[in-house]
Amino acid sequence: MTDATLRTILLVEDEPTDVALMTRAFEKARVMNPVVHLVDGDEVLRYLAGKGEYADRVKYPLPAVILLDLKLPGATGMQILQWMRVQGEIRRIPVVVLTSDESPKTIDAAYDLGANSYLVKPGNPAEVSRMVQTIQQYWIKLNEPPQLVMRAEAE
Amino acid sequence: MQNESVLLVEDDPSDFRLIQRAFNKLGERFEMFRLTNGDEAIAYLSGDDPYENRGAHPMPSMLLLDLKLPRRSGFEVLEWVRRQSSALSRLPVVVLTSSRHSVDINRAYDLGANSYLVKPATNSQLEDLASQFRNYWMSLNEFPSLAEQPRGMND
Repeated sequence: MTDATLRTILLVEDEPTDVALMTRAFEKARVMNPVVHLVDGDEVLRYLAGKGEYADRVKYPLPAVILLDLKLPGATGMQILQWMRVQGEIRRIPVVVLTSDESPKTIDAAYDLGANSYLVKPGNPAEVSRMVQTIQQYWIKLNEPPQLVMRAEAE
Repeated sequence: MQNESVLLVEDDPSDFRLIQRAFNKLGERFEMFRLTNGDEAIAYLSGDDPYENRGAHPMPSMLLLDLKLPRRSGFEVLEWVRRQSSALSRLPVVVLTSSRHSVDINRAYDLGANSYLVKPATNSQLEDLASQFRNYWMSLNEFPSLAEQPRGMND
């Protein structure tokens, strides 16, 4: 078995300031896992499907966890969740929604589409840093990720 | 901050004592109820006899579910929760089991588990697990709204 603790984290976020905050927080928390950062929803779908520029699963491995913003260019976070649900093993990948939307309706909709957890982006950098540390402790160190075959899936 | 509650479904008394002790050490941030088999868990969530009174038996924020249970297994409970046509189907379910088999891990995710945790071997590791569980789910996660809880005339 490969070392699960060093599996990739997929960060899907289009706001440059949030990305900068999160990236710094990952560094501060000494997260050794490779963090793949994507900004566009359509790109996320290609990455997960192993299509186009992401066909090489060794170079672009399926992540242990996805941190997913909801408002994105291209496919939205909700559309990505919906798409994942009808895939084979890709639907097992834990998705943590990470957004500024606190409305109960959105929270319920995300769970209905199979989100594993829902987090609201904190307001200040110290809290972001603490949140990233907690995410890493829980989803990388504690949680058992699904076992996925490293291959692209047919639609 | 609202008080979240966890329903623990665990049949092994010594595991239960250890888990309870580990969680109790964390203080009073959240409540934990315990049931010992799958049938009880389903009766509790349905609000069936003897759990009709939601004042005494409140709907939990989430389920912490062992897999090997007498009567209905954890898998069956999970399947039942996700099959509900009510908002109950959103209930976050974290599996806590001694099985590290990839067949069980994948099956749990396929059935809609939000997270999969393996019971650690030592007490101190279990305390770490309890505190990380608390730090993540009780401090960070936003929970979905579940079935309307019947309110008394007094509010």
